[in-house]
Amino acid sequence: MKYLILCCALLSVQALFAASTNGDQSTKSYPARGVIEKIAPDLRQATIHHQTIPGYMMEMTMDFNLKNTNEISGISPNDEITFTLVVGQNDEWIENIHRVGRAVETTTNKIIRTSGLSGVMMMPELKSGDLLPDYVLKAEGGSQIHVSDYRGRALAFTFFYTRCPLPDYCPRMNNNFAQARKILLADASAPTNWQFLSISFDPEFDTPDVLKNYADVYRGDDASRWSFASAPTNVLADAAGHLDLMVMRQGNGLSHNLRTVVLDPQGRIYRQFDGNQWTPQELASVMRAAMQEQTGIAQ
Amino acid sequence: MSSKAGSKQRKGRNEERLFATVAIVGSLVFGAGFSWLLFAMNSRDETQIAPAAANSKAAVIAPDHPRQLVNFSLTDRTGRAVTQSELAGKFLVVDFMFTSCSLTCPAVTGQMAQIQQLTTNQPDVELVSLTVDPRDDTPAVLEKYGERFGADTNRWLFLTGDRTDLYNLIGTSFLASDTNNEFGFMPGNFAHTERIAVVDAHGHLRGYFDGLNQNAAADVADEIAKLRNSNP
Repeated sequence: MKYLILCCALLSVQALFAASTNGDQSTKSYPARGVIEKIAPDLRQATIHHQTIPGYMMEMTMDFNLKNTNEISGISPNDEITFTLVVGQNDEWIENIHRVGRAVETTTNKIIRTSGLSGVMMMPELKSGDLLPDYVLKAEGGSQIHVSDYRGRALAFTFFYTRCPLPDYCPRMNNNFAQARKILLADASAPTNWQFLSISFDPEFDTPDVLKNYADVYRGDDASRWSFASAPTNVLADAAGHLDLMVMRQGNGLSHNLRTVVLDPQGRIYRQFDGNQWTPQELASVMRAAMQEQTGIAQ
Repeated sequence: MSSKAGSKQRKGRNEERLFATVAIVGSLVFGAGFSWLLFAMNSRDETQIAPAAANSKAAVIAPDHPRQLVNFSLTDRTGRAVTQSELAGKFLVVDFMFTSCSLTCPAVTGQMAQIQQLTTNQPDVELVSLTVDPRDDTPAVLEKYGERFGADTNRWLFLTGDRTDLYNLIGTSFLASDTNNEFGFMPGNFAHTERIAVVDAHGHLRGYFDGLNQNAAADVADEIAKLRNSNP
């Protein structure tokens, strides 16, 4: 019986605790710090790049409402401030604003801090002339290859996976590569510093053997100037930002967009083909032009 | 002597049994009461959240933190500029898609199409599809995709634009990010792009529904009706 009473007592104490944390319907306040980016003309809203607000949200840029517009008088963009974020049932606002300094202009690094992206650093999209990172891939023979292995040649690469069921997606990419390669091989007067590379984003299923068998269907007897490889997850994560590539595993399949890229002989982005509307003829002529770019490498 | 000892033992055992019974019954009663208390308090806190009962309803998923529709300027599939101001005062049903997504997106867009039907006579409801692949999803591409699902240009916006602007809107107002996802790679690392979000007339994100759940459309419509009644 003693135990029973003890149990009851414990339970009631716990219930009391639960009530005091769960039952609180009023506002919550969070101390915060950040830099003012913009203040609305009516002084009712301020855009602030704030640091992580512990227990509430990560570093990001956000619009905050002001209930008392006097709070922001004397404060201007680029001021560093401390403030209190108040979160109510249906609204949130900031108050208790104090200017603590002036933000120092920092040199922009290669990473874009996209406002609002919950503090996520996003790799910038590469533009023409930007150097592609030297991705390391697993080639069809099982060996490792670097994209830089093809320096000195114009390189066209695209992404696919062998189980891709949609004819106008991955198979079309490889069919286009097959035809563009045929055009370039047939042109006796064209320079010969060029290469095609098909990259699978399904490294688990697309083992070197699977890739080799698949490749041979597209290449026929002649494997020259067209390699197949698979990309490990770290390469895919990087390419997602840099090349705007999207791949999502869903069951046995992948949902993805299509990205085909031509690099010049120095490994710089020469041209990007999005989607599936480009033709083998276009690719062949872009390759011819890319080959003419200064190689920068003694041949 | 032996019988005396036996009866003592029996008596002791009976006491033990009684104590055990009382203890078990007691803790059951208190356990049930305590669970109910917790449940009651939880459901008071999250009044809009359906209990995880054994029905097929798609439960509302609460936002990870308060989120609000931020200012934006994007382009819809007709090429028209759209800002948040034209959505003010409306219930918004928002999903995240890209037209080259062959597996899950069509299912989610299918739910959106059903929501459009279920809310036909509700002018205070607007549907918004945000592409996560603006480089591919130009207005023309989105127009074709929208037509495939019978999207009404006046009630269902498909928005595209600058990647940074779009991702700012999605990341701030709607989706958390997940940088450690080994099964998905996209520029903004958004988590749960299969969700359908419901925004109230004040621009507050009220919750998400799993867009892959077959009942999502009906549940979104119910949720909006509930919000409309509780917040006229």
